[in-house]
Amino acid sequence: MRFHKHLRTGAAALAVVASLAGVTACGAGSRSGAQDATAVACDYTMPTADTTVNVLAYNSSAIDPFTNTMVKSCTRDKVTLKHDPIDFGGQVTKTTASLAGGSGSYDVLETYGFVVPGFAAKGNIEPLDDYVAKYADKYKLNALSKQMRSAMSYDGKLYGLPMQAQMYVLAYRKDVFDSLGLKPPTTFAEMIDAAKAIQAKGEIKYPIALPLNATADITTNYQAAMNSNGKDFLDSSGKPQFASNESRKALEGMKSLRPYMDPQVTTFDQPKVQQQMFNGTAAMAIMFSGRMNDLTLPANTKLADKFAFAAPPAVEGGAPYLYSRLSVDGWSIPKNTKLDKDMLFQMMAASVSEDASKASVPAAYPAREGMVSDDSSKYAAAANATLGKSMPTPGNPSAAPVTNAIRPIVVQVITGQLDIEAGMQQMQSIAEKTIAGS
Amino acid sequence: MRRREFALLMGPSLLVMLGLLVVPLVRTIQWSFQKVEYGSPGDFIGLSNYAQAMSDPRLGRAVFFTLLLTVIVTATILVLGYLIATGMNGLGKLRPYILGAMLVAYVLPNIVGAVSFSWLFDQNFGGAVNYVIQALTGQNILWFTETWPNRIMVIAHTVWHLLPFSMLMILAGLQGVPKELREAALIDGASGRKTHLYVIIPTIRGVLGFVCLITIMDVLRTFDNLIPLSPQADAIGNESIMLYVFDTAFRDGSAQLGLGSAINVLAILLILVCLFPFIRGLLKEAKAKA
Repeated sequence: MRFHKHLRTGAAALAVVASLAGVTACGAGSRSGAQDATAVACDYTMPTADTTVNVLAYNSSAIDPFTNTMVKSCTRDKVTLKHDPIDFGGQVTKTTASLAGGSGSYDVLETYGFVVPGFAAKGNIEPLDDYVAKYADKYKLNALSKQMRSAMSYDGKLYGLPMQAQMYVLAYRKDVFDSLGLKPPTTFAEMIDAAKAIQAKGEIKYPIALPLNATADITTNYQAAMNSNGKDFLDSSGKPQFASNESRKALEGMKSLRPYMDPQVTTFDQPKVQQQMFNGTAAMAIMFSGRMNDLTLPANTKLADKFAFAAPPAVEGGAPYLYSRLSVDGWSIPKNTKLDKDMLFQMMAASVSEDASKASVPAAYPAREGMVSDDSSKYAAAANATLGKSMPTPGNPSAAPVTNAIRPIVVQVITGQLDIEAGMQQMQSIAEKTIAGS
Repeated sequence: MRRREFALLMGPSLLVMLGLLVVPLVRTIQWSFQKVEYGSPGDFIGLSNYAQAMSDPRLGRAVFFTLLLTVIVTATILVLGYLIATGMNGLGKLRPYILGAMLVAYVLPNIVGAVSFSWLFDQNFGGAVNYVIQALTGQNILWFTETWPNRIMVIAHTVWHLLPFSMLMILAGLQGVPKELREAALIDGASGRKTHLYVIIPTIRGVLGFVCLITIMDVLRTFDNLIPLSPQADAIGNESIMLYVFDTAFRDGSAQLGLGSAINVLAILLILVCLFPFIRGLLKEAKAKA
């Protein structure tokens, strides 16, 4: 009897928690609601039967404006566009599963330059050049940045319609820099000098914040450091470059910043770096531009009006490029969709139209040229300055598996468990094996 | 019950079990002998996946960490669960409220609970535990990047999450102990400690075995709580077997489904070995009661 009473209490507690979880989940789902999305023309040829278009795109402030525009504007008559909230990791897994086999779960996929060559080489996604030629005038597609179109291409063909790009931007505390007479650093050495001066003032213990998360961001940062010196993980013929002098300089540069960063930085992803800036525990951070708008919102931090933005530094003086990566997001059509691909392309094109692109600023940096000017957002000038000085992305189908394979070694090098020379040799060997096996 | 009724009632359950348990298990075993790319038939490669898995020191680290976690958490949960259940059994009107509050830790989605728990140790998000430790000792413990502090945090979270269920089960067991037994022990002059050791615990042996079994199964499958609690699990030797399987088979669209399947089969074997004594004991008990 008594136990039954406990069970009833337990059941009541379960019900309360489940209700709370349900309410929370509803809140999360509403983020992708298209209520306030921009409405644009989306006049594809209506199919004869009722049709559901499943859209796979992760939720973020930079991607949502385009997804919401597509869902809101292209849902009409017999056609319903369906988009469920999902995080980036979930999207990656679902994309891989959906592209496998003869029929997939999704008809429009959000893709990005890093994975496009791999999917394209396997024939998983549709080339878009013919559709671009057909609809160039209707949707003014020639205004999409050539650099971003190139990042979504493989073997001379376009496989992703670019919507927006992200590049690294330096955010810094203007009040702290001004009080010490500092200027935004243009090299890692200047960054260290600034960090030393800030540390000496005694208010901020770890002035530099970078996302060096051991499960993802650390390789992007390593690649950015190598790019600054003019090399990528793989050269144009696909040969790994981990044993190169540029690789050594990149690793040395990253390690040189460690004493000025939180000792647990290898567990920090971009949200955590944002949090450091929100809290005032860091004075300068380098992240993708899509993260910068959050820093300018007073709802997030009392320091919102104290942040300024600049192009990120180069690893060393005279380096050909800045410490940056150009990450381009876009839309792709899976080869295995059963729906009319012409209709799907028009939905994608509508979502990157002029109005939709304009409405996505300042949360995003649209692929459509001329959308981001110095008065568009607080970090527009920094993003524009970075764009021209980021190394072009060489598309190689092996880049993604090689990057995954070398990641544990990069972590060991940056955390000091492995010396740079040994790490470089191990990465070279792992990369060669990965390419041979893929 | 007639055969037709039996088939009608059992059919849907058997179908679901076939679809969700048997088919994935058969596919996992099949893929473990293949090099598998998503969406294309695998190529038979014999025992290569097993050889690769067994020669990877990462597997050894993952097995060690998972077993360590299992032993410590199970022992802690049994002792704490028993103590709390005994205390709870003696409570009056407050019992339902405390019980309800404790259950929140169990019913929260594991990942949500783990994220909240990690904030207690993360200075970026308040870090109440860090604040107290620093105030008392001046030490700044690196909970996320140093092996043992991280292990302590993961153990603490796993105990926090699983303890309510175990405590509830043991409480149910305690309430099934006949009053006469306790009274007899009291009349015989047994101390409180001896009453627990020689009367109550042997009486609820079955419940304790069940709690052990469930806890071991849960801890051996540790996965999602490590994502917020141990973001660089592999680098510091705190990766669980299931996280290793996920990392190999799925992370960033990795195509090593065959290798991941082989590790999964090895993990299933390990789980069976760990559970064998408990399953045998429970079966024997059930047989004896029948």
